[in-house]
Amino acid sequence: MRFTLNIWRQNGPTESGRFVSYEADDVSQGMSFLEMLDGVNQKLLVAGEEPVAFEYDCREGICGSCSLVIDGIPHGPDQGITTCQLYMRRFPDGANITIEPWRAKAFPIVKDLVVDRSALDRVMQAGGYVSVNTGGAVDGNALLIGKDQAETAMDAASCIGCGACVAACKNASAMLFVAAKVSHLALLPQGKPERTGRVTAMIEAMDREGFGSCGNQYECEAVCPKRISVRFIATLNREYRRAGIVESALPNASESPHAESV
Amino acid sequence: MTRLLRHFQSSVGSKVLLALSGLGLVGYVIFHMLGNLQVFEGSRALNSYAAFLRDMPIVLWTARIGLLGIAVIHVALAIHLSLQNRRARPRAYAIHRYRYASIASRTMAASGLVVLLFIVFHLLHLTAGIVGPSPPDRIDADGYRDVYGLLIHAFQNPVIVLIYVAGQVGLAFHLHHAVSSSLQTLGFEHAALNGLLKAAGPSVALLVVLGNVAIILAVFLRIVR
Amino acid sequence: MITKLDPKIPSGPLEAKWDRHRFSEKLVSPNNKRKLTIIVVGTGLAGASAASTLGQLGYQVECFCFHDSPRRAHSIAAQGGINASKNYQDDGDSVGRLFYDTIKGGDFRSREANVYRLAQISGQIIDQCVALGIPFAREYGGQLANRSFGGVQVSRTFYCRGQTGQQLLLGAYSALCWQIERGQVTMRPRTEMLDLIVVDGQARGVVVRDLVSGRISIRTAHAVVLATGGYSNVYFLSTNASGSNVTATYRAWKQGAAFANPCFTQIHPTAIPPSDAYQAKLTLMSESLRNDGRLWVPKMLGDTRAPRDISEGERDYFLERRYPRFGNLAPRDIASRAVKTVCDEGRGVGPNGHGVYLDFAGVVEQQGLDVVAERYGNLFDMYHRITGEDAYRAPMRIYPAPHYTMGGLWVDYNLMSTIPGLFVIGEANFADHGANRLGASSLMQGLGDGYFILPYTIGHYLATAKLPPVTEDHAEAREAHQRVLNRTARLLAANGRRTAASFHRELGSLLWNYCGMSRNETGLKLALSSIPTLREEFWRDVVVPGAGDSFNQELEYAGRVADYLEFAELLCHDARHRQESCGAHFREEYQTGDGEPKRDDTRFAHVAAWEYREGASPILHKEPLAFEFVQPTTRSYQ
Repeated sequence: MRFTLNIWRQNGPTESGRFVSYEADDVSQGMSFLEMLDGVNQKLLVAGEEPVAFEYDCREGICGSCSLVIDGIPHGPDQGITTCQLYMRRFPDGANITIEPWRAKAFPIVKDLVVDRSALDRVMQAGGYVSVNTGGAVDGNALLIGKDQAETAMDAASCIGCGACVAACKNASAMLFVAAKVSHLALLPQGKPERTGRVTAMIEAMDREGFGSCGNQYECEAVCPKRISVRFIATLNREYRRAGIVESALPNASESPHAESV
Repeated sequence: MTRLLRHFQSSVGSKVLLALSGLGLVGYVIFHMLGNLQVFEGSRALNSYAAFLRDMPIVLWTARIGLLGIAVIHVALAIHLSLQNRRARPRAYAIHRYRYASIASRTMAASGLVVLLFIVFHLLHLTAGIVGPSPPDRIDADGYRDVYGLLIHAFQNPVIVLIYVAGQVGLAFHLHHAVSSSLQTLGFEHAALNGLLKAAGPSVALLVVLGNVAIILAVFLRIVR
Repeated sequence: MITKLDPKIPSGPLEAKWDRHRFSEKLVSPNNKRKLTIIVVGTGLAGASAASTLGQLGYQVECFCFHDSPRRAHSIAAQGGINASKNYQDDGDSVGRLFYDTIKGGDFRSREANVYRLAQISGQIIDQCVALGIPFAREYGGQLANRSFGGVQVSRTFYCRGQTGQQLLLGAYSALCWQIERGQVTMRPRTEMLDLIVVDGQARGVVVRDLVSGRISIRTAHAVVLATGGYSNVYFLSTNASGSNVTATYRAWKQGAAFANPCFTQIHPTAIPPSDAYQAKLTLMSESLRNDGRLWVPKMLGDTRAPRDISEGERDYFLERRYPRFGNLAPRDIASRAVKTVCDEGRGVGPNGHGVYLDFAGVVEQQGLDVVAERYGNLFDMYHRITGEDAYRAPMRIYPAPHYTMGGLWVDYNLMSTIPGLFVIGEANFADHGANRLGASSLMQGLGDGYFILPYTIGHYLATAKLPPVTEDHAEAREAHQRVLNRTARLLAANGRRTAASFHRELGSLLWNYCGMSRNETGLKLALSSIPTLREEFWRDVVVPGAGDSFNQELEYAGRVADYLEFAELLCHDARHRQESCGAHFREEYQTGDGEPKRDDTRFAHVAAWEYREGASPILHKEPLAFEFVQPTTRSYQ
């Protein structure tokens, strides 16, 4: 198989970028999309040119590293997978394929197709955890959790943090990402004590990072490799509303919901 | 209080206010439509209904000011959020393909603008009587202001009909996404109800537009005279 | 110079060792903890759990990972589950049984005391994970669910669908996030450790390269913890993530940390076979497939008929034939080797003869397509996506792939290497799995080391060691810094014609052929003579474009390949030294008449710990393994 690739090249976050066209030949049907790009890079290297920078690691759809917008869709034309799980047999021979990075203010470009997604980490640091010390935890069976509830929490927790939801959203919103974590922890008894502070802190962190707001178009769910449902965004909205009511009644509400833990 | 303020300043808080104000306006639109549908019952029904509303000036003006306030909040927040959203992606994709997003959801700003312009025109035209072919302000047989007559007169003009129908199409597009979207923003979600919540937007849009356009066309086509 | 390997195993009865040891350990006062800095390299299960716990205890932690986020470490890809001797199923499990299964599974090449401690804390790990909000699978009544896994007779494996590693890692990552928010941990993602700083015999810092700016800098601390995972990628094709590498542990080895049992590399039997030359990774198919699938090859050599055209009588269900008691559920090392044997006989299937069938026709017939689809649907989909073949219609093809490395830096009972102040945890150390790791045990070990062992033992070291201040200007620090600068410059200067990947691929195939699933003297000698040639060619002819002072993925990769090219030699030395077959290490010279491994407890009941010597072969040190509580037996699954 043969393809013409239109790839975004950009040297650094502040430099201007452009599309450069590359030919990928000797491509076999059984190659993954990233292996096809590996092939292009190997040829560039031998020719003394700089290879295309793109991110990858586990190549089995779980680490969340890979991040390509392929012909206008994050992670490409198939649903429920990451870029690394996309195989070339999915494309017609001779196709023109346009490859762009995730584009969002909160995800500055590092180089070519590699973006900086540390904004998502900072949102997690704002409250995406249960503040329990190591040691002294009660027996795992001390708190019973219904199977359905645990399964729903697991649905939400399966987020791989790739950021495709942000990339697909018209508003570059990270709501599905935040919703997944907030819902996961709000559904479990272990996450309940901090649910009020958590949702407020995470939403505020999300805003600080420059993500947009949710337009309820659900493009995020359409591209999510783990098919995380936008139902969790409704849960997040509910949690946030609840937090607003609870917090406004707190006698001495502190500025930062996690300040007491410092 | 500062906490509550902060709560509504966030993107989600703003969205909640946008949704609440929007739903308030939708409620009014439905109420307005139901009132106007009395045109099919003849001039007497409509005119006495109009007089009934005008007989309570305090209620009427409170409602008017309230509506205006809600509309201002809605429009201001919509502009604020769209600007913020635009900033969230400074550089657009060369190719961007949608999978789930409806056309209505992708044109909310445009349809919103159409609705806004239409409301301004509508107020200047029928409520204030400043623009458009000046209709005769008459008193009907029962001594009420002849609102019915106003309608009949207005919607015989094809240009006016065109403007009104266009306004309704804009409204339909807006509501098609807005109603379900607002319910999601307010956190309504339940496995058993999700189908219903999803259908709410298109249903309300269809209902409102059918009702309103029926009035306009009925007059224009001389079904109601 | 390493003079003596002292494992520092506490005295006393097995059950009491860890408790007594913890009591005898010195503590660091809370005020002093604040003044102590600990570097943690790696953010997988071991690294993230250690960094977060150390931060919680009050130490100043600086944590590094080469990924863009600590959440991407390869622990995330572990599918099956995590073992714990909770005995929630009341099926006869106990600390003792988990201990025994692990020791036996490791073919009696691990330390009793370490393994027993791991079994003891296994329950606590589960409790801790539940407290962190990890959504383990539950029964309808709300209790934690268990499954049986990896050829043991009890159900002790806790799991989150097929994503247990992901959930456990995200739990540890969330704990890390909390400590970052509290200011106890400074997280430095996209930063790769390139050398270890040893001052007066103590590990006092690392040299790191900021992968975005390319800046190479010195970070000093009072102790260094390596949690940098395994080295399966030395084989080029493995189930590991592309980025997993040996660099951190290898550089520590060059600074004096002993490397133990490098030849214990686990080859997982059920991966999708390699298809073409550009293939960059082997995808693991869950071991659970062997619960229902049957492995077979045609009896006839060179039989290229479609599998469904080969009648029952013409098929060889080789695992069932050789291991009637365990059949298709034989442990990983045994199953992998059996697959290799039939492929070497020329009976392998698929385009290049590297593969055997994993057939579900029987279970489909017995239990129906729906049952199979429900149980394995996602795996069948994955198989279909990768190979384009439908496993519901024709049997899958599978082939073994390097998966996990039991070998690693040598550590004592306190998880400290032969360099004082250098602690090594998780897959990066050699400790607990002996010559073969059982399924669902790596997650247990990673979290056990990070949450519950290291935080105690490192405290004792910090409380008792003399730790004079060390700054970036210290001579040893500057020297380490210069080493990294030189090496980086040398990589960039080579300016040759061959890519790093082509060298890596060549090295990988060399190792796979001569130091893979089975090894022999001739092959190992050949490998040992070929590797230096390849290495010389690498330094002469590798091409690394761009500059060192910017984001340069090829430079990162070339540096890792350069280390593989040295480390591979160590791997072969160790394999050559170990003249016995045990666990994952199979020496063809040491087998029974029917091809079963022959372990040699008189000559090789020891840990082989290798010391680096510049420009010469490494020196072997032996730590004898004493079995006081269990009697080594022949590990038979026949």
